[in-house]
Amino acid sequence: MYDHIFKRAQSLHGDKITCEKKHPQQLEIKTDRHYVMNLLSWLKTESYVHLAFISCIDWIEENQFELVYHVYSYEEKNHILVKTRLDRDRPWMHSIIDVWGHAQPYEQEIHEMFGVYFPGNPDLSGLFLHNWKDLPPMRKDFNPKDYSLALYSLKGMGHEALDMDFIQEITELEVE
Amino acid sequence: MYLPDGYTTLEKISENDDHILYDLFFGPNHPGMHGNFGYVLDMVGTEILKVRPNAGQLHRGFEKAMENKLWAQNISLIPRVCVPDPDPNEVAYCQAVEAIMGVDIPMRAKYIRSIVLEMSRLGSFLMGMGGVAGALGHYTTMYLMMIDRDLILDLFEALTGARVYHIYNIPGGVRRDIPEGWTDKLLALCDRLDQKLPEWDRLLYENPVVQDRLKGLGYISASEAMASGITGPSLRACGVAADVRIDTPYAAYGEIEVGINLSGGGDALARAVQVRLDFEEAVRIIRRLVAALPGGDFKLDVGNLAKLRVPAGDAYSKVESSKGEFGYYVVSNGGLKPYRVSVRGPSMPAGMYLCHKHLRGMKIDDVAVWMASFAICPPDIDR
Amino acid sequence: MSLGEKSFFAPFATLANLFKKPETIAYPAEDLNVHGKIGPSLKYRGMHANDHQVCIGCASCETVCPTAAITMKSTGASDAELKGANAQRPVIDYGRCCFCGFCVDACPSGSLGMTREYIYTKPSEKEDPLEELVWKRDMFTIEPGNRWADNPGWQCTNDETWLDLDRQHMHHMAATERVGSFIEFVTGFTKEEALREAARCIECGICTKTCPANMGIPEYIRGIYDNDLDESIRVMYETNPLPGICGRICTHKCEDVCAISHRGEPVAIRWLKRYAIDALGPDRVTEIATHAKELFPPTGKNIAIVGAGPAGLSAAYYLSTMGHGVTVFERMPKAGGTMRYGIPSYRLPDSAIDNDVAAMIGMGVEFRLNTPVGEKVSFETLKNDFDAVIVAVGFPGGRSTRVENYDHPDVGLAILLLNRIRLDEEIPVHENIVIIGGGNVAMDIARSMARLQKVKYGKVSICLTCLESETEMPADREEIEESREEGIVIRDGWAPKRIEIAEDGSIKGLQCVKCTQVFDENRRFNPKFDEGETSFYKGTQVVEAIGQTADFSFITDEELKQMGMDRGRFKVDETMESGVKGIYVIGDIVHGPDVIHAVADGHKAARSIDTWLGGH
Ligand code: SF4
Ligand code: SF4
Ligand code: SF4
Repeated sequence: MYDHIFKRAQSLHGDKITCEKKHPQQLEIKTDRHYVMNLLSWLKTESYVHLAFISCIDWIEENQFELVYHVYSYEEKNHILVKTRLDRDRPWMHSIIDVWGHAQPYEQEIHEMFGVYFPGNPDLSGLFLHNWKDLPPMRKDFNPKDYSLALYSLKGMGHEALDMDFIQEITELEVE
Repeated sequence: MYLPDGYTTLEKISENDDHILYDLFFGPNHPGMHGNFGYVLDMVGTEILKVRPNAGQLHRGFEKAMENKLWAQNISLIPRVCVPDPDPNEVAYCQAVEAIMGVDIPMRAKYIRSIVLEMSRLGSFLMGMGGVAGALGHYTTMYLMMIDRDLILDLFEALTGARVYHIYNIPGGVRRDIPEGWTDKLLALCDRLDQKLPEWDRLLYENPVVQDRLKGLGYISASEAMASGITGPSLRACGVAADVRIDTPYAAYGEIEVGINLSGGGDALARAVQVRLDFEEAVRIIRRLVAALPGGDFKLDVGNLAKLRVPAGDAYSKVESSKGEFGYYVVSNGGLKPYRVSVRGPSMPAGMYLCHKHLRGMKIDDVAVWMASFAICPPDIDR
Repeated sequence: MSLGEKSFFAPFATLANLFKKPETIAYPAEDLNVHGKIGPSLKYRGMHANDHQVCIGCASCETVCPTAAITMKSTGASDAELKGANAQRPVIDYGRCCFCGFCVDACPSGSLGMTREYIYTKPSEKEDPLEELVWKRDMFTIEPGNRWADNPGWQCTNDETWLDLDRQHMHHMAATERVGSFIEFVTGFTKEEALREAARCIECGICTKTCPANMGIPEYIRGIYDNDLDESIRVMYETNPLPGICGRICTHKCEDVCAISHRGEPVAIRWLKRYAIDALGPDRVTEIATHAKELFPPTGKNIAIVGAGPAGLSAAYYLSTMGHGVTVFERMPKAGGTMRYGIPSYRLPDSAIDNDVAAMIGMGVEFRLNTPVGEKVSFETLKNDFDAVIVAVGFPGGRSTRVENYDHPDVGLAILLLNRIRLDEEIPVHENIVIIGGGNVAMDIARSMARLQKVKYGKVSICLTCLESETEMPADREEIEESREEGIVIRDGWAPKRIEIAEDGSIKGLQCVKCTQVFDENRRFNPKFDEGETSFYKGTQVVEAIGQTADFSFITDEELKQMGMDRGRFKVDETMESGVKGIYVIGDIVHGPDVIHAVADGHKAARSIDTWLGGH
């Protein structure tokens, strides 16, 4: 089963993909972003009908985002990770909601958390974060601690006007 | 009325001679809702025209936080991704880490993990069935089920030291061995649960009111379910024989027999019955696991856990939870902390995608029932 | 199960339930006794308890706490009072704690545990909201102590702990193989082993305080763990310029107090040091060691050092890093002192010494070898020609027991024999040898003689006697065990009485009496004997290894007295300056024989000379 899809993928798409067996029942296929759609559609016809989810990884040192589409076949009982890299400065990716409708919220989430654009996805509005104005928070260059300190310190909460004793007391709390 | 910038207000959508169309917030503050999630509904009378999921009330950035903690420290955070059924998270994460490290854990550890997973499943099913009952107004049934769930939690407490967040699995195995006499108590509890089933049948499943309310609600065909990312009991309720425990066995499920019973039908009633069938099977699985429990170590020696360094690589590990496929995609760059932990929760496809299709035209009374039947649990959407 | 129609009588089923026992528990009227003991389970993760007598303040709990709930609070005790512990104890903020119990599983001393107590409330005592805030914070921040300790819950055994309790096995040549040669028999860690061993360290720093040179042990172990050996070596050279030597033969006092030793085997600190040095290679090590050369401009001051042993070398290195000119006078043909001419090469090969000395040469230290002070150059000249003089002559001579017939030609002094072995001289080796002494030198000579016997006669026949019982023997445990493996018979608790001579003039053996006490209750040397119990050890050659002596013939008696000589040793303070201005004494002649003490002395002397000469 495992070998079967491996061979087929290589014979049909060999020049466009690099394919690697990873863990038992797990296969990794790397391809260019423009080819992902083709590949996923093909996989869907090859009984890989289950899109588990989509993950995004910020490889900040290589200045790239990596998208990982997790697809699974109920017949071959294989899990395939389709990986593709995006330029981190201008991150965008074809939406796959025409292949799998439920990719919509996943793409919406990745847009919100990493700032990747998905042309074709009808709703890229904020999903989880309310009133978010900072960097997309799952990016590696977003520092949650600094953010919290800035936002939830007295200044961040707009408390400058309070009487000095209180501020002193609170500041001591923080220092200790 | 003063409302801070950007807060959502009750919006008048449109108005004609007969109707005024409003946004209706179904949750987070609603008895049929979990308290941390909601749907914003466009209603005409009691009928839903349009739905917008309102997630994020629970968002604590678990995935981000996990990038800033040691490999082992994350275990204390992970069960919080699913409150009623926490152990699949721990196990999936640990398995992903073990897969990247390329280690195989001792058989006893695998069995203990499986037992814990099945207990967690039972506890979660009781809550899920109770949830369906509660959403239908059958509170007595729900409370009766909570009593039995509490007995499971007692056993968890004796094994792991805590009732809800067990923090019990670690990369390499589990934190403590099974105490003396614990398995006997577990088997006694299994007997009790078996005996309880007829009572629940009478109270819930054979109840005409329940049947009428559930029949036909939220129907989904097998092919559509598969293509929409629906997994677990909800998928089996469409007649698809898919179960991670059988298809890609993990922990000790490859060693023992795991039965699969399908309710079929694809509607809320089928899903409720499927949970009951799975419950029955889980009790059987526990008995098999206990009977075959091997001796040996309960964890692998991976060196100082606080300084665990996982080689660069990535792995996806999935576990059949009470709600469906729980998966952890873990990426390591060879450091002391994960580079990325990406969680696949089972609630996202139904809760965030199917809702658009299913809730349209539905009566508002059915929303909570529909959610309970798909076991939509917001923490794994938000994470 | 059927999903059929409901019976008409179904509503009456309710009646049947009227008489059922209720499922609820009326707490607290009824006890919650589900775990065989009232209250939560016996493993419950509730409030913490910490035994302050046992806790070593290692902060391992703080490191692993995922919620950063633990902070360490100083107990105010001085380091001197706390041997092998840090003067701090954990304090837990229960506003953060998630009761995961990781802190318990990572506690090396086993002092920290969790209890079955979980109810902790108190009505607020404060009216003012601000005061209440402060009060609440204090309420929630608890230093776990004995409170609740009588109701233990989650505890951790050695099987369950997060720590890695077992050392990586160090490869040795087999005893039968190694006893035939003087080749170094410990082969060192491989990279995997070193990484695994380095991961065992919890970076508590308790060892640093115990190390005489205060080496940055956790830092250099961390360097090894991070695979950053450059950093590791750099840290070592901050406090110890002889890491290659110490990585082989240090008495590793640090390992005795290692936090991990409370539950398991201590971290192999010494072997890790050796690994870092060997893995990086001598050239790179020397490069890092001499890196300091450019940092400080030459001061134009010159310092003479008498003796190129560990103390002298250490002082030479640190003085030269500070820009001073250094000349070392050594009576032997090579630098190294006792390390080269006392310690056998199966423990410390010449190459290791040469590699470490290369750093001093690289720093521009001038070595005047084969130049005994007092013969080729006078002490007076040194005092006149140099800005300061360091006396680091060590203990080149041996002490004798002076029992009857000690002056027989077949009776030898260990240190002198070792010296000759190292100089590749032929020394007399008899078929049966008796050795007197229980220290490391006794082990060295016994094992050296064993090797020579093996080569000459093909078998080992050595009996080692000492005053101390085996547990009191000053030699390292591993030395004792390895000696036994090599076929040396150890007879502990016997005091030498007389060396018996046969008619033909050769030695017959050693007559001993039982030694019942070596140290009195004040730990002072005060041996007591039981003359009634005697034993006799056969052998035609006897070697005495009961202590060493210094040779100060190049200094006048009067000056020695001025310098602070008192019964064979110098009494000096932290500056290492003797009673005479500008003369410093360091090493064995101050602290007794120990390489790492000597290294520390050298560093101290270098610093105080630098201060005195108006350096940095
Ligand atoms: S880990 Fe244990 S020994 Fe170390 S400071 Fe904490 S309580 Fe004390
Ligand atoms: S129980 Fe967990 S959260 Fe609480 S202090 Fe210990 S390590 Fe920290
Ligand atoms: S070597 Fe031992 S004593 Fe030293 S820092 Fe590491 S654990 Fe602590």
